[in-house]
Amino acid sequence: MALTDALAIAVAELEDEQVMSLVKERLGAGTPALEIVGRLQEGMTEVGRLFEAEEYFLSELVMAGEIMKDAMDELEPHLKGANQEFKGNIVIGTVRGDVHDLGKNIVVMLLKGAGYNVIDLGVDVPSDKFIDAIKDSKAPLVAMSVLLTGCQDAMKDIIADIRKEGLDVKILIGGNYVDEIVKENVGADFFGTSASDAVKYADQIF
Amino acid sequence: MSSQMEKAYQERLNRYVTALNVGKPDKVPIRLQISEFSAKYAGFTLQEIYYDAEKNIAAATKLIQDFDMDTCPGAPNLWWAPLHDAVGAKYLKFAGRDLEENRQFQYVEEEYMKPEDYDAFIADPTKWIMDCLLPRIHEEFAEPGSFRANMALVKGAAAMVMDTGAKAQAAQMWREQYGYPTSIAGMHKAPFDTLGDVLRALRGIMIDLRKRPDKVLAALDVLVDHNIFYGMATSGGNTTLPNFLPLHRGAYPFLNEKQWDTFYWPTLKKVIEGLWEKGIRTMFYAEGNWTPYLEKIAELPDKSIVFHVDQTDIDKAHKILGGRFCISGNVPNTLLSYGKPEEVSDYCKRLIDNYAADGGFIMDAAGVIQYDAKVENIRALVETTREYGVY
Repeated sequence: MALTDALAIAVAELEDEQVMSLVKERLGAGTPALEIVGRLQEGMTEVGRLFEAEEYFLSELVMAGEIMKDAMDELEPHLKGANQEFKGNIVIGTVRGDVHDLGKNIVVMLLKGAGYNVIDLGVDVPSDKFIDAIKDSKAPLVAMSVLLTGCQDAMKDIIADIRKEGLDVKILIGGNYVDEIVKENVGADFFGTSASDAVKYADQIF
Repeated sequence: MSSQMEKAYQERLNRYVTALNVGKPDKVPIRLQISEFSAKYAGFTLQEIYYDAEKNIAAATKLIQDFDMDTCPGAPNLWWAPLHDAVGAKYLKFAGRDLEENRQFQYVEEEYMKPEDYDAFIADPTKWIMDCLLPRIHEEFAEPGSFRANMALVKGAAAMVMDTGAKAQAAQMWREQYGYPTSIAGMHKAPFDTLGDVLRALRGIMIDLRKRPDKVLAALDVLVDHNIFYGMATSGGNTTLPNFLPLHRGAYPFLNEKQWDTFYWPTLKKVIEGLWEKGIRTMFYAEGNWTPYLEKIAELPDKSIVFHVDQTDIDKAHKILGGRFCISGNVPNTLLSYGKPEEVSDYCKRLIDNYAADGGFIMDAAGVIQYDAKVENIRALVETTREYGVY
């Protein structure tokens, strides 16, 4: 997709200062905050595409995350009362016993960039927190992160607890040592080996 | 020391060192890098091995009593928790203190070094560590120079000596009573990982690469001599066993190619070459995927590293590095956790058939073996390699 909007292009090219000045300029000119968010998301979608094409690496994703965070901080006060439209709700968290959140945060960023409402439960998340969040948000997709094989048994327990509640939800897992064998053993529906996989699975579900 | 045990020790060591030198020993050596799995096998909780030094050693001893390998995996705890409790470490979480009793320890990654710290760090890293870093990451050093902080220095140093002393004594005991050498002596890090893991953390270092690349390069330069010295000091100058190098932020796809060439590789290469000049070989423990960088790694002096394969394409690694460098590893940890013993056996046979025929190969798991591995799968790995891996 060839971007035409200057702000979207600045995000995709990781020009942080230019992004900030364009956001401020447009707010000052009376552009609705939601419309500005839309342009930022276009830029983020392009960042995700470049990552998938192996033109961007994690270093670029981290930078893009910072740019989005700063821009959203600026926009936040102007978004109050605005009716933001999302493609859908997704619950995400790093499983109990694990405090790693680098991968999870990148996935959150790409999902938000793609237009989803992401309910981020943080790290070391037990079953009941996942279950409560799924019930409250009625999210049809929950994503779980785990870095090492040593913490995967907790993931298995959490998935079993969610299934026991009878919740109609698909489960996506991700982490350094996650593959088909792990997916089968913990009882998940999908596994991702790259940050952009999460967006692909989300787009299938919503 | 019984002459029988000494003979067994020399046999194992010789087998291991022959492979390290890319030679062909009598059998494919088995060197397993095992951490928390030993605790489970010996029937200890993780809290026990983090806190009880004797149980920590006993867990490793139990493994070499029951499995015929060529090196002792060493005590399972990477950190003896009392050492860190003595100084109030805020950056580590341990079972029994912050986590449930059978949870693996965790590192809390934050920007412990701020962007404005670069100049002071570059001018005098040791002084900066003492004055700034230690107080930030340890409750007990919160007020440098206070009675409490001074006591913490004494307690921390004493605990460090106790821990290294206990582990050195254990190594001697494994040699004398069981005929086992250890697999590594000492450790070091890539300068970029010292800066990027512990000090600036992932987010910080990635932003620095764009915002202050000159400072990053200057800090990395300062770390070269420091990291060579660290490798020397922690190994006690041992030139027989490899020096452990756990590699993190250089794995694909953390850095783009230009960043890798500019920031990751030059100083790491200097550290490896600096140690090799002193006769110390590096165990290049390439966690994750390093396939795109194999050609660069091949620039290192022959035999100066053992290239450990986690998720790197082992076929390419063997083609590009084989014959000049020993290769180790690659039995997937997910297979050890979830697979069947027959699958593990088949995998090991395939590794031996494809990559061990000319020697210079060491059997090991892809990553460090943790609490989740199944006992029967570890047994399958060891027994298959022993039976099938005979030259």
